[in-house]
Amino acid sequence: MKSNIVTKRIVFYLALILSWQALDFANIWPDQIFPSPLEVAEDLAFGAANGSLFYGIGTSMLRLIIGLTIAIAGGLALGIFMARFSVVNQTIGSLVLGLQSIPSIAWVPIAILWFGLTDAGIIFVTAIGAIFAVTINSYTSVKNIDPTIIAAAQNMGAKGPQLISSVLIPAAFPYMIAGFRQGWAFAWRGLIGAELLFSFLGLGFLLNVGRQLNDVSQVIAIMLVIMGIGMLVDGFVFKKIERKVMSRWGLA
Amino acid sequence: MAKLEAKNIVKRFEHNGEMLPTLDGINLSINDGEFVCIVGPSGCGKTTLLNIIAGLTKPDSGQVLLNGRQITTTGPDRTLVFQEGALFPWLKVSDNVEFGLKVAGIPKNERSEISSRYLDMMQLTKFADSYTYQLSTGMKQRVAIARALVMDPEILLMDEPFAALDAQTRDLLLVELQLIWERTKKTILFVTHNIIESSVLGSRVIVLKNRPSKVKKEIIIDHRRPRLAEDESLKKYQQQILAELRTEVQPGGKHTD
Ligand SMILES: Nc1ncnc2c1ncn2[C@@H]1O[C@H](COP(=O)(O)OP(=O)(O)OP(=O)(O)O)[C@@H](O)[C@H]1O
Ligand SMILES: [Mg+2]
Repeated sequence: MKSNIVTKRIVFYLALILSWQALDFANIWPDQIFPSPLEVAEDLAFGAANGSLFYGIGTSMLRLIIGLTIAIAGGLALGIFMARFSVVNQTIGSLVLGLQSIPSIAWVPIAILWFGLTDAGIIFVTAIGAIFAVTINSYTSVKNIDPTIIAAAQNMGAKGPQLISSVLIPAAFPYMIAGFRQGWAFAWRGLIGAELLFSFLGLGFLLNVGRQLNDVSQVIAIMLVIMGIGMLVDGFVFKKIERKVMSRWGLA
Repeated sequence: MAKLEAKNIVKRFEHNGEMLPTLDGINLSINDGEFVCIVGPSGCGKTTLLNIIAGLTKPDSGQVLLNGRQITTTGPDRTLVFQEGALFPWLKVSDNVEFGLKVAGIPKNERSEISSRYLDMMQLTKFADSYTYQLSTGMKQRVAIARALVMDPEILLMDEPFAALDAQTRDLLLVELQLIWERTKKTILFVTHNIIESSVLGSRVIVLKNRPSKVKKEIIIDHRRPRLAEDESLKKYQQQILAELRTEVQPGGKHTD
């Protein structure tokens, strides 16, 4: 069953690359507009050989990790406070809903004004694009904890920060992961967008360089890398964590 | 002085836009080391009463005194075994049992020592490293009892802990609980809607009236222990309790086992 799916996928991607190559042979569009898969692969190999590709990936991933960590920590804290104190929810809660509707790219101008063309500006856009989604999800996850679980913990003396760290977070964790995953997706999109506009190192910057050099195969190569990392993190890292947590909590 | 006193507890809940009294002036007095059972029809407010005594719910009026002092919040001096168990699924059995001790800041080695003693008492030693979803309902209930007992509470509050069990497991735990009570000399307040359970466990059985609830009758059960569910000599007490309850269950209403 599982190997069957893998086979289907391999066949599909091979067919896709072959059709791409066939289209290239048909010579409908000039090479500067429509590169062959081979040229894209060469570009990737070239970027890998001179290290620029790995440097770009490394820069982007570092920014992502910092931005996402800030978003998760901040969103978690804010979400928990919203769930536990109705004043916070009634006031800040409505603002969070409003802020969440701002696309992360729209934060770029203010990030540039505040931080200049720096790493901090890009990280700001990455974090702010993700933080509200994490907040809202953490809020609902904590709200949905079985109240008797909380009552039991309080009955045994847990309160304040200890209640949060040893009961609220673990009890809500399986449901929070969906929020982290969504936060990651927003952070990733925000990051690449910011890097494009800031044009300061990273994968988004490499995309921009490709455009400036009229190098369509580099543009496609970097897009493939962005897609690859996205699939890897989402389908591998998060799926794995999710599965592990679900079975550990007895939910699977 | 009584270990625990409830004085004129009143609690109203909204029902169809009206505030109806659920508990309508409950008075209780429980002595140190006593094993008291509360029986009452389903929905009469037994869980509500225990939650109030545990300090998890505020009464609309009336007060609860522990050792003569009014209680204001919840706390491990009145640990509650919840009707639904309320175990922590992310913790191993031993960590569930140690939870309250950890909160109290007791060091790890001491915690392990205490929890292994109670796990042994509950015959759960082999499952110390299991997660709660790997346990049967009866085992979960024993973990919940152990988790409440390790806190060495002034009074142990139990909310129908055996309701979800099959008859054999329940009968076993009925005996175990009496042995634990004799060994630890704890004061226990045990809520049930099961007449047999109450007659086996209680040194005193308090029958509640249906909503609005009041204490209807107290029945002293002076009988050697450990008592068994099938004890013939408990029959007369059971009939007495049943007679009190019967008038409380309206025709067509919920039955009371
Ligand atoms: N939070 C609440 N809001 C509104 N009504 C409530 C609430 N809690 C309890 N009630 C009502 O109070 C009554 C008593 O509920 P409670 O759970 O205390 O009964 P019980 O005697 O424990 O029943 P059971 O034997 O089925 O466990 C019920 O009619 C219930 O609908
Ligand atoms: Mg109940």
